[in-house]
This record gives sequence, C-alpha cells and structure tokens, in this order.
Amino acid sequence: MPYADPDPTDPTLLVGVEVPAEEDSDLEMAYAFAEEFARLGFSQQRLLSLFRQSFYAGAYRALQRLGEEKISSIIKETLQVWDNFRFVIHDSPERFDVSLDSLRPLEPHHQQHEDGP
Amino acid sequence: MSRVYNWQLGREMSYPYDGKYPERQFAFVFNINRCIACQSCTMACKSTWTFSKGQEHMWWANVETKPYGGYPQFWDVKILDLLNQTNPDGQRWTGSVSDNGKSPYGQFSGQTIFEAGEKTLQPQSARVLGYLPSDEEWNSPNIYEDNPVGKRGIRDKLHETGEQLPVHNTWFFYLARICNHCTYPACLGACPRKAIYKRPEDGIVLLDQSECRGYRKCVEACPYKKTMYRGNTRVSEKCVACYPRVEGTDPESEGQPMETRCMAACIGQIRMQGLVRLNSDGTWAEDRQHPLYYLVHVAKVALPLYPQFGTSPNGYYIPPRWVPREYLRQMFGPGVDRAIERYNNPDRELLAVLQLFRRSNRIIFRYEIKEGPLVYEGTYRGRPVRIYNDTVIAFGKNGKELFRTTVEEPLHVRPAKHQNSI
Repeated sequence: MPYADPDPTDPTLLVGVEVPAEEDSDLEMAYAFAEEFARLGFSQQRLLSLFRQSFYAGAYRALQRLGEEKISSIIKETLQVWDNFRFVIHDSPERFDVSLDSLRPLEPHHQQHEDGP
Repeated sequence: MSRVYNWQLGREMSYPYDGKYPERQFAFVFNINRCIACQSCTMACKSTWTFSKGQEHMWWANVETKPYGGYPQFWDVKILDLLNQTNPDGQRWTGSVSDNGKSPYGQFSGQTIFEAGEKTLQPQSARVLGYLPSDEEWNSPNIYEDNPVGKRGIRDKLHETGEQLPVHNTWFFYLARICNHCTYPACLGACPRKAIYKRPEDGIVLLDQSECRGYRKCVEACPYKKTMYRGNTRVSEKCVACYPRVEGTDPESEGQPMETRCMAACIGQIRMQGLVRLNSDGTWAEDRQHPLYYLVHVAKVALPLYPQFGTSPNGYYIPPRWVPREYLRQMFGPGVDRAIERYNNPDRELLAVLQLFRRSNRIIFRYEIKEGPLVYEGTYRGRPVRIYNDTVIAFGKNGKELFRTTVEEPLHVRPAKHQNSI
C-alpha cells in the first residue's frame, strides 16, 4: 500500500500505459455487475450501494463515468427481469453442516443437570 | 522429451515425461463477471496455509487487477514476452473452434514453454522456458492496484473516496488465481529432484519437501508463478488444493469430498470446484451431468487460462464480457467469442447450472434438472428472455442429494405500520 510519495528510484514504481477501451466498455461492465448481483437476489438499494462503494473499484468506476441516473436505469432494467422471482435453495434432509441449534446456549435446567446437584 | 496429447492445443506436444493421467482430476471454474476483488479467497488461503514465518510473501490464492496487476508483478507479460522472443510472431492459433472435444479451440501452431525450452535452452537439463521473479516482484501483491488507501500518518482510517492514483479512462477486471494443478505441470517437469508429483487419485500436484533441495527450478518453470520459495526453510512450497478437504478426511467434511477453503469463502459466488474423469489420453471423459464437464465441454463458456503455455491448466474461467476481445483471446484462447456469446444468451440448462455455484461446500459430482413451468417471459436489452421454474438438484460423491434450487416469486410482506392502511 503506497503511503509515501512516489520515489523515482523505486524499482516497483508504477510505469503504466493506458490500454484503450472499447467505446461502451463501462456500460457493459455496469450491466454485467448489475445483472450478476441481481441474479443473486440483490435489491435495488443493495445494487446501488454496490456501485456507490468506492472500494468496489469496477462498479464505482462505472458510476463515476456514467452517472447515478444511468446506473439507476440500468439497475431498474435488470431488476425488471430478475426481481420477478428468487432462487431458493433447499438443503438435503441429511444436513452436513453444524446445525444452528447446536450453537445455542443450553437451557438453564440442562445446565443445572450437567453441573450436577 | 516425450510426446503427449494436449487437447487444449488440439495437438501433440513435447513434455519431459510420458503422459500419466489420474483417475479423477481436480478442476475448477471461476466466473470472472462476478468477481469484485473482495479478497476473501486470498485471506481464507493465507489464514489456513501460509501464515508462518518465512511465508510472508506467499499468496497461494490471489486476486489481481488486469491488465495492470499481477502477482508476482508482470508474470504473464514476462512469460508471453519470452515466448515471443523465442518464436517471433509465431504464437498463433489455426483452425477454428469446434465441438470436437479433442480440439475445441482449433490448433495452436506456436511453441509451448516446453517446446521453446527444448529449442533454446542449454544445457539439456534445462527443460522449461521460464524466469525467476525478483524479490521486488514477489513482495508487493496488488501494489498500485485499486486497493483502499489511508492518509499518511492516520491509522485505522481509509481515505473517504479510496482514491490515490489518478483514475484512467480504461477497462479492467479482477483475475482470481490459484495453482492450476496442470495436467502437464511445468514445475514437475523442471524439478531435477523429482520432488514434485501428481496424485493418481485426484491429479493434485504436490511438492515433497523432504526431497526438495530448493533449486527453484519449479519457481522458474511454472508459467503461472504458483510455486514459491521459502527462505527460512530453503525449500519450495505450493498450493496443496486443500487436499484433506478434497479427500473428505478433514474433520469437518464427515467423509464427503469438500471444496477448498478459497472456493468456500467466495463472497461473489464466482467459484465451483470439482473432480472430473479423464480418458487414457488426458482428454476429459464424457460425463454429461457433471457441472464442470457441462461448463467446459458442452456449454463451452469456461476457458483455460493461457492455454498456449502448454501445461493444460485445470482452472477454467468464464471470461468478463466487457473486456476488449483481443486481450481476452490472448488470455483464454480462441474460444472467447463463443463463450461470451453463449454466456450473454444463456439457455435453460446454462441458467440452471449457474445456480449450482456456491450453494454448498460439498463437491458436486452430478446434477439433474427437473423442468418446471415458464415463470417469466419478456425482453432484456432487446433480447428475448424466458425463465422457467426448473429445479436443479446437486448430488455428492456418494450419490446422495446435496441440495436443490428452485425459482419462486418473491413474497412481499407489508410493513407493520401499513398493515391496515387500505
């Protein structure tokens, strides 16, 4: 993480060139993120906050370039398809994972019993 | 050198040893379209395997920002450049993509790292074209990428907008990587001690530290730079594919094969890992209801990473659809256009199989689809879309059901304060 100002003698100093982007690559990227996360069941608000989060640089970049209005319309367009239903996962009856019940604290009378008289 | 068949290149190629293929092969598919570089996989691996003294620079699993980023820095640019110097302007593909499982991407007419090494390297014991990254290249994964930064001198606080570098008007995407547990591992081929071996039961490539003498030939040879040298033990180390989980011997797995830590930790649900069956020539045996076989050989939406290196990597990627095609063709081979076209217009089965990603930590060996009624019909970006309430059922190694996913219309619950507002 670069805390200091760039040092020209540093062998790892950023030497970058801009790779030209196709005209609508930001738009395509915005659609891709909106659609992928809408499929995971994200709401309109959650999708928008994903784009507003500066640390998700791809989505944030698209929002900076295209503007919030455009991003909102992309989200709306995506949700018109993917918000009509939810994917529901049913685990097999034979559960493998640790059940939540086993993590709950024991009932007081159980504790008394285990502690002994 | 022996001659072996590499189906990803659509032809035979040279390799230091005869082809030997495991009963099943460890393989995985990453859907890059979903990766947001949260680095959960990176940290899951780090906290499990490489948290000790001398392993500070080791990231068996990492996520890098392409096209700029890389760990070690510039790894792919450097090996591509070396190959181009050896075979100027000759690294090309011929033929065309097809449904032939023995050459789905046409034929690679250039030189692999083994062939380039055979022609250019001296002495004969040097078998694979490669290079040793410098300490600086290993030391700073993600340097100058888009990682969050804080102001100098202020601890525990991130910059409000996360920006430090000037923002370029360009494209980028996140590439998550682990060891590809290649069918023809360069690390194994290069090791003069024969300390690296491929397990016959699952194709996982392991490094026997009691045999290793730290010559670093494997570090030099692996084109993906996923073998690493540990200074304080003076031997090399690499990703072990969380083999106790894959074997089902991890206490948590209760005897059933379980996906690796990096797969299980994935927030964006981009990852699926499995064990695929191979034919006697190293091609994938037909296994129509295996989700990885379906994604790689039926839908053909998942492609190997830099197949032209010639190691037949077992990591496959659904390419990001917004990235310039020239770049993607170089990275994933000629199958890119077909893969993106199909991913952009998924059919009924592909949509169902995509629902299998990260629904369970158990390895899926087979899936079934029970067709249901049409639940939505409309258009999206000018294309017709049809969604069905198909049930996709995943089965584990023992043939028992792991889980099933269905489609349901959402249930909207009126908030309490509006209960009687009509």
